[in-house]
Amino acid sequence: MRYTGEKVQRVEDRRILTGRGRYVDDLQLPHTVHAAFLRSPIAHATITSIDVTAAWSAPGVVAVYTAADLAPHATAITSFAAVGAWPEFHPLVTDRVRFVGDVIAMVVAESRYLAEDAVDLIEVDYEPLPPVTDFASAVAEGAPRLFDDLDSNVLSTTSTELGDVDAVFAEADRVISAELVQHRIMNSPIETRGLVADFDPASGELTVHAATQSPQGMRHQLATTLRMPMDKLRVLTQDVGGSFGLKGAVWREDFCVAIASRLLARPVKWIEDRNEHLLASGHAREETIRAEVAVNLDGEILGLRAELEMDAGSYPCVPFAASAITAFIGLLMPGPYRWQAYSYRATVAATNKCVYVAYRGPWAVETWARERMLDIVARELDLDPAAVRRRNMSHGEPGDRLITGPSLAGVSSLESLDRALELIGIDEFRAEQAAARSEGRYLGIGFATFIEAAPGPIEMRAQGGHFAGDEAHVHLEPDGTLVVTTSQSPHGQGHETTLAQVAADEMGVALDRVKVVHGDTRQTPFSLIGTGGSRAATWASGAVIITTRAVKEKVLRIAAAMLEIAPGDLEIVDGMISPRGTPARAIPLAAIAAQAALAPTSVPPGTDARLEARERFLGEGITGSGWSGGTHACTVEVDLGTGEVKILRYVVVEDCGRVINPAIVDGQVRGGVAQGIGQVLYEHAAYDRDGNFLAGTFLDYLLPTAAEIPEIEIVHLESPADGEFDIRGVGEAGAIVAPPTLNNAVEDALSPFGARVLAQHLPPSTVLGLAGLLTGS
Amino acid sequence: MSRRLLRLTVNGRPYELVAEPRRTLCDVLRDDLSLTGTHVGCEHGVCGACTVIVDGAAVRSCLMLGVQADGSQVTTIEGLERDGELHPLQTAMRECHSFQCGFCTPGFVMTAYALLQERTEFTDTELREELSGNVCRCTGYQTIVDGVALAARRLSGTQDPTS
Repeated sequence: MRYTGEKVQRVEDRRILTGRGRYVDDLQLPHTVHAAFLRSPIAHATITSIDVTAAWSAPGVVAVYTAADLAPHATAITSFAAVGAWPEFHPLVTDRVRFVGDVIAMVVAESRYLAEDAVDLIEVDYEPLPPVTDFASAVAEGAPRLFDDLDSNVLSTTSTELGDVDAVFAEADRVISAELVQHRIMNSPIETRGLVADFDPASGELTVHAATQSPQGMRHQLATTLRMPMDKLRVLTQDVGGSFGLKGAVWREDFCVAIASRLLARPVKWIEDRNEHLLASGHAREETIRAEVAVNLDGEILGLRAELEMDAGSYPCVPFAASAITAFIGLLMPGPYRWQAYSYRATVAATNKCVYVAYRGPWAVETWARERMLDIVARELDLDPAAVRRRNMSHGEPGDRLITGPSLAGVSSLESLDRALELIGIDEFRAEQAAARSEGRYLGIGFATFIEAAPGPIEMRAQGGHFAGDEAHVHLEPDGTLVVTTSQSPHGQGHETTLAQVAADEMGVALDRVKVVHGDTRQTPFSLIGTGGSRAATWASGAVIITTRAVKEKVLRIAAAMLEIAPGDLEIVDGMISPRGTPARAIPLAAIAAQAALAPTSVPPGTDARLEARERFLGEGITGSGWSGGTHACTVEVDLGTGEVKILRYVVVEDCGRVINPAIVDGQVRGGVAQGIGQVLYEHAAYDRDGNFLAGTFLDYLLPTAAEIPEIEIVHLESPADGEFDIRGVGEAGAIVAPPTLNNAVEDALSPFGARVLAQHLPPSTVLGLAGLLTGS
Repeated sequence: MSRRLLRLTVNGRPYELVAEPRRTLCDVLRDDLSLTGTHVGCEHGVCGACTVIVDGAAVRSCLMLGVQADGSQVTTIEGLERDGELHPLQTAMRECHSFQCGFCTPGFVMTAYALLQERTEFTDTELREELSGNVCRCTGYQTIVDGVALAARRLSGTQDPTS
């Protein structure tokens, strides 16, 4: 049978359903000691003294470290991907704290309980400094600077101008503008951050067991910062309890724990608690966009001016800081629409808040702002938002391009829009909406279209840097087991299943004859990214397919010589090699594998007994537009008594090319949509004006549950498979486009009140404010 | 730090250990008994990842001290298999692709297990309410709801276990 395209049961599920997964906190090495951190209670202050005497003498304490203790063992933290101004900073703060949660000192003790007890005994004196808690105050004239080695709090600026922007805006019938605010949220995986560092003084090797998306990237970063030869570092990752971009980072705490293990020659474990995680891991998405759209009264969109302000928090995330995202936002913001002119300017500023991290579709503000503006344009011109989109959307013609350059040839945006509106039944809904309004009930419909470069058209792939390409190692064991070693490091995506599916199909063996190996830097190919950026579907699958093919060719050459037949006339079906259509003359693949391994000199002359290959897939043979994308549509009812938004239906039309495992793909889409819904209706990583964090528990940072997330209906557009590599990434899709979809629906519902949804977050008080029922919200 | 003798039965097996009174039940299970299937997600009783069954009731093992379980019968995720065979709930959840990263899984499975001991008939809305004390960040919940509903139909005999 062919496995690709089937809802194959996941290889991972048996162990996770029986409690036999291996997450980092499950590791119990002998003689392990446990770390806890003292974190800053104030947003911005100079440390005038630290007294660790009492902590040292507390029960069970093995060590207490401050910056001075760690300084000889690490460089200042840098990144291979540093973009923009990069301040000097270290694993622990030296003389100044820069956000509530900043790491001041580390205690290592016989248990986490004892380590926390001792943390409470450390005495620190602070000299408060004025906190900088939003973008405007960070860039204001004379603003307090976070970093003395930088000229200002501005970390980077980016700008681009395409077409004659001034002329297009001058000639347009109207210019419609809005300031759109996306609030600060969090990835919030259910497993917090953590690692176990295990230094072996005999060999000088440091083994790090970590919850990470990129074991090789982490090894590279640790080697750089700790000044260790890479061969002395090994990173191991088994099951990881979610990440959504967060665990692609290497954290200041990670360096501290690694150094402690070297100094103590004992395994040191750090598993953060939820409060630490909410306060001090990473936050995402805090951006404001001032957008202006030049339009004609018939709905033709002409020009877009967008100015982005990003609040990056305090320290740069390693390796990918906030400034690494803004150029991509600018590239994608025009979307699959025809614009004559476009200008974009982005500024990233440091503030006294938690570190900005990548979150599922880190560039998503481009889709949100564009799809919000298209609805605002339609409403201002009294036009149908669907008609405005259709009038301006690319049909995917061969010559179509984003105004920023990349090809839109073959993009299926328009088809997805039409299909989504048909599925949600927009005409019937409008009638229902009108009837409801006459009864004083407020229903709304919203939709939004996105494209995601996963892998992107050819010119984007060529510039994909660390994100393009992937490598695999494949070998046959002497018993015929096909072992696939990938640089992916899955944390819920099911790669042990999907990569086995494509490998089994390519080799012609049963799925249970394939073993996917990941998460050990001694075995896996080098990759700085690991799993992230919706890369695996295209790049890892491609790598596994071409590498498996190379091994298969070696097998077939041996079999062909034995059968005295051309290799091209052979096939492998369910592990048996035979001339096409003549299964009676079959040789088991396992027999060839055994012979090649156990008696390598016995293989026919001119054939290769090493049944293994390593190949890097660089995109040769990728067909299709390269754009993942689609349209989401939803209907809502807004309760003007409570401010509650109830989602009535949520429809997804998704085009991610050929689907390897529909159950896994749909799971990715639904999970992303649920996060988008949570982002709009519930979640907010809020600070007060003094920089105090207000969402330090799950009673303050609200995640949606099964009672809030509706059934999500999914339809796939699969463009005709005209080549073999048209498998596109889908991991980030739902989270990118759900926020504008839901915002647009709420604005539509509240249109009788003239509501404009300019802030993405819609808790009940804001919803009631939009309806004019609450003031001051 | 004072220590107390603690006797409890976990997954049918009796244990006797000495534990500090302040240790949570989840830490006792995970660290002292090496039953790491129970996961700790928030340590303040919201996410539900640490849910286990104590004397028949689903409890958050992060909100209960180990010593409070003295003399109790505890069932954890490791206790649902019988002779290497998955519990019908586990089988249904596997078939429905209920989970992704697996970290919330033990809590959902134990919550649903306790529910199915009580009743197997409920509407979709009721089931979602029953499961709303557990948080999953990966799936959007639909496949979890589907898995529990499938198990309920099979256990109540309204659906053949093989279909």
